[in-house]
Amino acid sequence: MQTSHSGTILSLYRMGRLIRRVEEILKDEYAQQQMRCPMHFCIGQEAGPAALAPLLQAEDYVVSHYRSHGYYLAKGAPLQAMICEFYGKASGANGGTAGSMELAHEDSRFFSGAIVGGPLAIAMGIAFALKYRNEAAIAVAVIGDGSLDEGVSYEALNLAALHGVPLLVICENNLYAAHTPAEKRTLSRSLIERAKPFGLPAVQLDGTDIAKLHSELRELVTEMRSSLSGPRFVEIETYRYCGHVGPEDDNWLGYRSVEEITAWRRRDPIVKARADARSCGIPEPVLLDLDEEIEREITAAIEKAKNDSFTRYDWSLDQVWSGTYAPVVGNFGSGSVGEFDSRQAETRLKPY
Amino acid sequence: MHETMTRESPATSATTVLSFGEAINAALRQAMELDDSVFVYGIGADGGSGIFGSTTGLVDHFGPRRVFDTPIAEQALTAMALGAAVAGLRPVLVHQRFDFMLYAADPIANWIAPWRFISGGRAKVPLTLRVIVGKGWGQGPQHSKSLHTWFAHVPGLQVVMPASPADAKGLLLSSIFSDDPTLFIEGRALYAMREAVPDQPFFIKLGEALTRRSGEDITIATFGSMIPAALQAADQLSEDGIGAEVIDLRCLMPLDSKTVIDSVRKTRRLVAIEPGWRMYGAAAEIIASVVEVLGPKLRSAPRRVTWPHAYVGASPALEEKFYPTSTDVVAACRIAMDRTSAIS
Repeated sequence: MQTSHSGTILSLYRMGRLIRRVEEILKDEYAQQQMRCPMHFCIGQEAGPAALAPLLQAEDYVVSHYRSHGYYLAKGAPLQAMICEFYGKASGANGGTAGSMELAHEDSRFFSGAIVGGPLAIAMGIAFALKYRNEAAIAVAVIGDGSLDEGVSYEALNLAALHGVPLLVICENNLYAAHTPAEKRTLSRSLIERAKPFGLPAVQLDGTDIAKLHSELRELVTEMRSSLSGPRFVEIETYRYCGHVGPEDDNWLGYRSVEEITAWRRRDPIVKARADARSCGIPEPVLLDLDEEIEREITAAIEKAKNDSFTRYDWSLDQVWSGTYAPVVGNFGSGSVGEFDSRQAETRLKPY
Repeated sequence: MHETMTRESPATSATTVLSFGEAINAALRQAMELDDSVFVYGIGADGGSGIFGSTTGLVDHFGPRRVFDTPIAEQALTAMALGAAVAGLRPVLVHQRFDFMLYAADPIANWIAPWRFISGGRAKVPLTLRVIVGKGWGQGPQHSKSLHTWFAHVPGLQVVMPASPADAKGLLLSSIFSDDPTLFIEGRALYAMREAVPDQPFFIKLGEALTRRSGEDITIATFGSMIPAALQAADQLSEDGIGAEVIDLRCLMPLDSKTVIDSVRKTRRLVAIEPGWRMYGAAAEIIASVVEVLGPKLRSAPRRVTWPHAYVGASPALEEKFYPTSTDVVAACRIAMDRTSAIS
């Protein structure tokens, strides 16, 4: 019988392993050129989403950067719909309109996008709405260190603090904005020191230890929910093993060293999570069964995605506007048109 | 102002004479009374001047939760509107000048406009961006631009440009309660103009033009702050026995080209007027949509009346010449009416 602790450890391992294997299998499948959208794999960066997953509730919102697959799964959005989306199928999470870069699942309250800086400001607006309606939920903005090069990030941090909204900013620091290292971008070396002046409590956490990260985030999220204490900023130190975009290794660009990659791989979060599961008494056969189950789930989802129908072009063109109004306009009059006297003078402005 | 606007009226057809700014204020007040999810924010939204009177008194009535001032942070404020709309609110954000809103081009064009498409038609984005176009008293190149066509060009946005107080109220109420994102563009020059405005909330379907004056000889199609000049021109032309039909498009997106085409089918002459720049403008779009259907049937080549393709200088001498007036509209109509302009 599992203790509550070992149950948590197992669920953290499961999510971390699921994200890792989804990405690895998709990376291999990508070569078949059936998924024809740019894809930013998060292999190496699984700790953030895996640690956060058990803390997220259905009422919460997550708005993520484009390296989003892990956070999509962490929010409880369906794996099948994500993979169908990558294959451009009508059964996809976005109806087959978005691919990977703008992956979203409306019902799961998960959104993402490919323009750096946007998710933080949008999540701030969602958090504002949650506070406005006095809801207990939180909004999570997932950004990267590169996002903090954008001016809008500071506008959003300022507004979040000013309005005291329930916004959790997860800033994944993987050391590179695409291929550009921090030292080419800024003299400012600390990300958390950039959030603090606006009034956000900010902490830097290790993104190689899922269990530790989970307990640190749990304390923080619990406090956010109970005390309505306003926005928080969390930097997660993490590292991307694969290239910035696509399945290929991009180390030939020479922007990072083999030694650096090797050093991070030695601190692999999934290896650590598996070891943690073993050391808290979960037997190897249980983990092997779980691994097998994950493989079957992913393989079946890919198989279904390949066989589903593409989104219809004509249908896609009709998704731009709703053309609908709130029901309240049904009670409105039609508004008789008055006699507008066109001979009136224009506004005479004052000098201010 | 408050007395007239809060006056109870038992009959739905009752009206009160309001200025353009007061009509916007009345629309905001009614929208907020009808629906707690409507809130109004922007630089100076709760301030003494109340954004040219358009938000005056709202904070006293609804409190700082629903009406509040902001830092000068157009980009995040606009993205905030999207977030609030995604979570089910109906935000109204005010940008005091079109020029200032350009900081928000990213949230508008990259996030707000495609949001519903990206959701596969599942999402609703009920937000309204009010934006004011300055004119006069030396507003100059950074306070006077009207970039309506930039945003009408982006699929997913509704672009509304009201011309009179009654329309301002009805169109703003309809924008706020629309489930699609709307750019609501107000000509500062119109703010002092007055009209009898229905007291009760009323609905104008976005994308339906209004024929403000009927005529048989020539169609004048325009919108927003050029409507008064167009109507004045029609008055002058009627003195010469020329019947001008004045169509107020009300919205650039959706664009009711059908109403213009139906009118030109009758008059077979068209002058399109735009309160904005000439090149790649709305007047060109209106003319193209008519010519595509009625080209060979036109009696004369369609004409445009627009701002010059230049900036308005911050001097009364330059401003006076820059903005077209009814005289320019009359001149364009006379050319279109002249037999020598006839298409052979």
